[in-house]
Amino acid sequence: MKDGFRQSMAWLHSWSGLLLGWLLFAVFLTGTIAYFRQEVTVWMQPELHGSIPDAGTAERAVERMSQLAPDAAQWTIALPGERSPAVSVSWRPADAKPNDRAALKRATLDAGTGAVLEPRETAGGNFLYRFHFELYGMPREIARWIVGIATMAMLVAIVSGIITHRRIFKDLFTFRPEKAALRSWMDGHVAAAVLALPFHLMITYSGLLLFMTMLMPWAVDLAYDGNRQAYFAESGFRRAPPPPRPAPQAAPLTPVAPLLAEADRRWADRGGVGSLTVTNPGRANATIELRPAESDSIGRGAATERLLFDGVTGRAQEVPAADPQPAAMATGNYLMGLHLARFAGPGMRWLFFVSGVAGTVMVGSGLIFWVVKRRSQRGRADTWGNGPEPFGHRLADRLNIGVVAGLPLAVAAYFWANRLLPAGLGERAGWEIEVFFLAWAAALLHAPLRPSRRGWAEQLWAGAALFALLPVLNLATAPGHLGNSLPAGNWLLAGFDLTALAVGLLLGFAARKVGRNAFAGKTVPAPVLPAGAVVEEPT
Amino acid sequence: MILSSLCVAYAGLLALALAMDRHHEQVFARRPSARTSRLLGWAGWLGLTLSLPPTVTAWGWAIGIPAWLGLLTVAAAALVLLLPHAPRAALRLGPAALLCAPFPALLG
Repeated sequence: MKDGFRQSMAWLHSWSGLLLGWLLFAVFLTGTIAYFRQEVTVWMQPELHGSIPDAGTAERAVERMSQLAPDAAQWTIALPGERSPAVSVSWRPADAKPNDRAALKRATLDAGTGAVLEPRETAGGNFLYRFHFELYGMPREIARWIVGIATMAMLVAIVSGIITHRRIFKDLFTFRPEKAALRSWMDGHVAAAVLALPFHLMITYSGLLLFMTMLMPWAVDLAYDGNRQAYFAESGFRRAPPPPRPAPQAAPLTPVAPLLAEADRRWADRGGVGSLTVTNPGRANATIELRPAESDSIGRGAATERLLFDGVTGRAQEVPAADPQPAAMATGNYLMGLHLARFAGPGMRWLFFVSGVAGTVMVGSGLIFWVVKRRSQRGRADTWGNGPEPFGHRLADRLNIGVVAGLPLAVAAYFWANRLLPAGLGERAGWEIEVFFLAWAAALLHAPLRPSRRGWAEQLWAGAALFALLPVLNLATAPGHLGNSLPAGNWLLAGFDLTALAVGLLLGFAARKVGRNAFAGKTVPAPVLPAGAVVEEPT
Repeated sequence: MILSSLCVAYAGLLALALAMDRHHEQVFARRPSARTSRLLGWAGWLGLTLSLPPTVTAWGWAIGIPAWLGLLTVAAAALVLLLPHAPRAALRLGPAALLCAPFPALLG
């Protein structure tokens, strides 16, 4: 009975993992990069690389705003920080409705001079971020449903995988790359899964929570009589009451330097001031609101703390306290906040990134294991499927090539397109995305045309070359290359180049192993297993 | 603080691994006695426990616990990759990490 249960869990694990595995691999890979989406966007806008913040940046930005938008109802100024070298400003024209985000005007300012910069049009890291939960080119609602179902399958695969594995602690540190392919792929898959298991559970469950009101709207519909807007309003998803109307009398804005100095002192351990919001600038009832660069709360972003000043006298004003969150909502917000990691400083962000890589490896190695296991079951160790192979196994293997090796290649192609397409090209952002999908489609078409091992090696080499040469491309096309970014201690740009180089080397390492047939391991004849059997190992 | 925690976590995980026959053999080419194994096990759990406080003092419980789990993942990944390829290096890294742990300022 017990073995029957475990076998059915093993069956569930391999099929829930396989059928949505290719989509999940894409979600994990692009979602992992999305932890650095701001950094990716900065890299993809070389026009910002010369912007160097100094002590006068905030004042300069405020001054520039009074020229750019003297009559606006509100200015929002996001100051440069560890994740962005330039100043991002937006303003709401006097005649726009308070909650109409589309009416906002935006600009990017040079932090050193205050000049308006014209960065090239790109979706940047945002494309990868959006793709990881909304895919592309299909109605948003449908795409979210597809990703939501895949996320549910992920949760099923994790839980059934834990039950199937059963010797989690005993095999915790086990990785035997020198053993036969079946064994070492199993070890790799299990290690990537178990070592980052808390992350995998958190990211999958909180991913479902983020889709909660879409996947399971019934509780809200019942309690609010079908009026979801009322629920969102009451639960604080849309806070920000409309700002007061501008006073008729004009009055000059108070100098911001003393306010910033006070806030920077107060938030010394929070990265200082992150953003300013000036409401009714140049009017008698102007206010200036400051927020810290880093949040110390996971669940509510930086909303918990802000400083409010009278915009004319510069006197501090009382900030209305945030409403306490009910326990259930606080729990949900905490988990969703962990998923988004907006609170994370650089160290935490790297931990999330590494865990995300482990998740990507887990899904990828699981997909590969599915094929390797079936090949070994066919009687002899035919790692590369050179003999006759059932159509289903062949299909899964070629999809594995086109996704596991092909998607990194497509991501690299996206970065190349960013630099090689002319900066002034119309619909530029769309063309970059077009190149991404063309490269991916090429990989998916290339895979079935080649023998398995050649297909793997060729696509891995292509991805390795594209990634490893990104720093060279940066050197040729932008000022923020390693020769400048490293001496200047600019880790934002150097981090991208060095990570790309590392990814390139890793892909090259994998490609070399495939080329030398190292993944086949020792030619130990594999035992013939009945279909769906739980793989046991001699201790 | 973060790197202190990472160092102690690595040393703890290494002790836990050495408490197991398979990994003890990988490093020392022999099995541990029951007593050694038990002592290493206790040392390992102690290391894991001691690696938690630095993250919690640095970040509070809400962020400290996820950060700690993330650090354990990184430390364990390093160990799992080192053990089959360079078992002696995996061993030597343990005391080195413990020596560095009290000096987070040196580690950056």
